[in-house]
Amino acid sequence: MITTTTAPIRIENASRIFQMGDLEVPALVDANLEVEQGEFVVILGPSGSGKSTLLNLIGGLDRPTAGHVWFQERDLTALSDEDLTRYRRESVGFVFQFYNLVPTLTALENVQVATELVQEPLDAAAALELVGLAERAAHFPAQLSGGEQQRVSIARALAKRPDVLLADEPTGALDLQTARVVLGTMQQLNREQALTIVLITHNPALAALADRRVQITSGRIVDVVRNEAPAAAADIDW
Amino acid sequence: MTPLNRKLWRELRQNAGAMVAVVVIAAFGAGSYVGMGSAQRILEASQAAYYRDYRFADFWIDVKKVPLTTVERLAERDGIAALQARIVFDVILDLPAQTRPINGRLISFPERRDDTTLNDLYLIRGSGFSTDRDEEVIISDAFARQHDLHPGDRIHLILNRRREAFTVAGTCVSPEYVYLVRGAGDLIPDPEHFGVLYIKERFARDVLDFQDAANNIVGRYTDISAAQRTALLDDIERRLEPFGVFDAIQRERQASHRFLSDEINGLRVSARVTPVVFLAVAAMALSVLLRRLVERQRITIGTLKAVGYSNAVLFNHYVRFGLFVGLLGGLAGCLVGLGLCHALIDVYRDFYHFPRYLMRTYPDLMLHGILISLAFAVLGALRGARRVLKLQPAESMRAKPPEKGKAILLERWQWLWRRLDFKTHLALRDVFRNKGRTLSGIVATALAGSIMIMTFSFFDAALYMVAFQFEHTMRGNATIGMRDARNTEALQEGRALPAVLFAEPTFGIVCDLRHGRFSRRQAIVGLTEDHLLTMPRHQDLTPINIPAEGLLLSEKLASLLQVEPGDTLELKPIRGRPEPRSAYVAGTVDSFIGLDCYASLSYLSDVVGEPASVTGIQALIDDHQRPAFFEQIKQLPNAQALSLNRDAQQSIEGTFVRSLRFSLGTMILFAGVIGCGSLINLATVEIGDRTREISTLRVLGYQPTEIAGIYLRQNAILFGLGLILAVPMGYGLVLLLARAYDTELFRMPVIFRWTAVAWPLLISCCFIVIAQWVVYYKIRRLDWLAGVQVKE
Ligand SMILES: Nc1ncnc2c1ncn2[C@@H]1O[C@H](COP(=O)(O)OP(=O)(O)OP(=O)(O)O)[C@@H](O)[C@H]1O
Ligand SMILES: [Mg+2]
Repeated sequence: MITTTTAPIRIENASRIFQMGDLEVPALVDANLEVEQGEFVVILGPSGSGKSTLLNLIGGLDRPTAGHVWFQERDLTALSDEDLTRYRRESVGFVFQFYNLVPTLTALENVQVATELVQEPLDAAAALELVGLAERAAHFPAQLSGGEQQRVSIARALAKRPDVLLADEPTGALDLQTARVVLGTMQQLNREQALTIVLITHNPALAALADRRVQITSGRIVDVVRNEAPAAAADIDW
Repeated sequence: MTPLNRKLWRELRQNAGAMVAVVVIAAFGAGSYVGMGSAQRILEASQAAYYRDYRFADFWIDVKKVPLTTVERLAERDGIAALQARIVFDVILDLPAQTRPINGRLISFPERRDDTTLNDLYLIRGSGFSTDRDEEVIISDAFARQHDLHPGDRIHLILNRRREAFTVAGTCVSPEYVYLVRGAGDLIPDPEHFGVLYIKERFARDVLDFQDAANNIVGRYTDISAAQRTALLDDIERRLEPFGVFDAIQRERQASHRFLSDEINGLRVSARVTPVVFLAVAAMALSVLLRRLVERQRITIGTLKAVGYSNAVLFNHYVRFGLFVGLLGGLAGCLVGLGLCHALIDVYRDFYHFPRYLMRTYPDLMLHGILISLAFAVLGALRGARRVLKLQPAESMRAKPPEKGKAILLERWQWLWRRLDFKTHLALRDVFRNKGRTLSGIVATALAGSIMIMTFSFFDAALYMVAFQFEHTMRGNATIGMRDARNTEALQEGRALPAVLFAEPTFGIVCDLRHGRFSRRQAIVGLTEDHLLTMPRHQDLTPINIPAEGLLLSEKLASLLQVEPGDTLELKPIRGRPEPRSAYVAGTVDSFIGLDCYASLSYLSDVVGEPASVTGIQALIDDHQRPAFFEQIKQLPNAQALSLNRDAQQSIEGTFVRSLRFSLGTMILFAGVIGCGSLINLATVEIGDRTREISTLRVLGYQPTEIAGIYLRQNAILFGLGLILAVPMGYGLVLLLARAYDTELFRMPVIFRWTAVAWPLLISCCFIVIAQWVVYYKIRRLDWLAGVQVKE
């Protein structure tokens, strides 16, 4: 899978230390990681291990206190707030654990929140179609189930045609059955559209889906395992 | 500190923006109460002390000439504590630095004043009359300052056709001229063109041919009832009839006193109304704030109830937000009040001249201010916290019921809806779903807008009132007051003056008008039937010609006398007190300053039973020849006053604009506090509610400005609706104001111009910008990384 071009996402000796008064909390220490184009990476680790911190660095939500984060030859650590925001709006799609839909907007309108941001977005309705929710377009979040809401949130992320999709515990609030559907949607996008996905979870079962599994413990990347035969989402179980 | 209080404290800090907005509104409420109340009391106390210490008279009588012996006899009467005979003359002054003649009122004053002197003078500069010279004069301080006159300077007066040089012996203020006007017809002091000059009594008698006589009597009553006072003055007037009484008035009708008292009363009303407006808005804002806070904390509240906190304790906890806001608002209000009071008194110093303003702070007013601020804030908090009582622990501990996603009415109109972007969708849905919040925003902006519309209209009305009087009614550019001349010689003299293009005589005579039980003392003005230079009008400016027969009354006078056109009045000239005659009302006209009554010269002379004389000349003068005109008029023996209508208008307008600028500034500040404060409060509450959404949008890549755009849309909708409402509300306030200012001294026309709406609109846009800036700042500072991850 390794190609001659450099990986689109590279994390070089990145550390993120939170200063809590006199106390230093090293949430991430000296992390190194490359994510290839079209790869499905699962970051696995217990609660508090630094997964979200790592994802935030990739997503341009935060900056490392030391080291660098590169995105396609651009050093994110050197970008201004404005430029980071632009990076997020043009290149990154986010999926949150609690969906974070705007309750007063319909499913379609929630997707439009994203399409407004970029030059050549997917059609909002088409994005909903991709996640299989075309017929729920006019429904408000309160009228959708958790899994459906999460799929709307994926549609919202997709609609921007992002270079990378970042998902922080996307199935954390869902039951197994629903989680399968949501993960299936993501896997399908990864396979059919070659969408790069970084997914974090503390649920080891999800690692089976990944091309690569990154184990993180106490702020350190302790293990990276390549998975030559990722399982199908429908076969996941826990 | 108990955990609940610690929670309270932290949440106050977390909601600092909204809290500050509410506290500021409350502070302005308490502040206007304390400030206006203090200013009112200071004016009142200064007035009372001045009147008492300088023995302000209770009544005034103008006569043609009365022997001093008669006055002495009157002084013996029961009910009279003191009586003084004076000589009062209106003269035209010749000041060296002024090309135009200036009006002066000459009043005789004892050489050696003592502790019984009525309307005693307080010397500001100079040492008063000396014993060496007769030709000394003490002048009004404001007049002296305006003309740069100092003790020791010399000025010239023409007395009894003789030009005399006087030395300024001092400058003064008098309780009689706290508000330096000639009479009730002058709206505003004009010290540039009018001053009072006091000359030595004995010298005045000699030079004015008033040996052992006087033409003005002032007096004080002993401690007798109002009814007795009326009866006594009537009786004195009757006894003085042979000497030609022009007018006799009680203190209530004395011009300076009336203006001052009206101001004090106005202030008293404002000190009650203004705080209520502010505090009601503050209570409304607080109630919205708390309602949202309770809503956001429903899980906490449910949990606390489940743990065993009682309803009372929790309710009390939320009401404490109100106590805190009320207390802080009240305390800050005391400071605002002190500032406001000083600002007001600074404005008053230009208009009302006291020896001293008795500046004081009034702790009781401050206490009341704090208490009413507390009361309103607690009321607002009670309303806002009601829901705490209704929350059931079991139900509310479950996650918040999902926000109702329901289409609003506007969405039925798909054609339009689809053309709007999602930010507008969001804004519209929020506006239509949160009815309480929306309503309070609309009410606040409508209030702010209508206050400004009212103020701007007031401005327009004041200028219209002046223009109506000085441009449309008095159409000449000079009015010459003549000493009562029995023949037409005076008119000839006036016409012969250089620069006079056209001149018209007027004949004024003071009469008692009676209709049933309503009566009024009123000057009736006789005009020639082909009058051009005095033109009574309706408010729409239609000119009204003097009827050959009958009287023309201003609306206000007609309503005071309860007469309508066609009714008959009983009319009795004061002078000579002949038998009452009847005159009929031919029509009514509009007037905004003073009360007017017109008749044709021939009808008037018929009715009062004496040949018409010339008491005034309305003239049109050639502006290029003004200097020559001024030179001559100073020499004219019968001329006792000159007003240049254009100058008078300009000076009144100037003063109006100056003093109204202060009120305008204050009102815009008030409106800004109400408008901006409420909007900031609402937007802050909203941002607090929508932290998660805003954070998500930030993560998705929205810039703070773009998110602020949503709130700009919301604020614009609230403001738009509020301002639409503000127009009729403002019109209502204008009507109310016109009613409030419907006095004998002046009345406010109802003027409602588009500019009075356009300016507030423009200023409101500035308010939106300010509110929007705060919103933007808050969104920028929002910790969205934390916000995006919170679980509901
Ligand atoms: N803003 C912050 N300030 C201080 N410490 C922080 C902050 N954010 C994270 N931390 C700390 O950094 C460490 C890693 O946190 P992080 O959120 O990355 O963990 P996580 O692996 O995502 O855990 P979870 O599975 O519970 O979401 C934790 O110890 C956390 O307390
Ligand atoms: Mg996490």
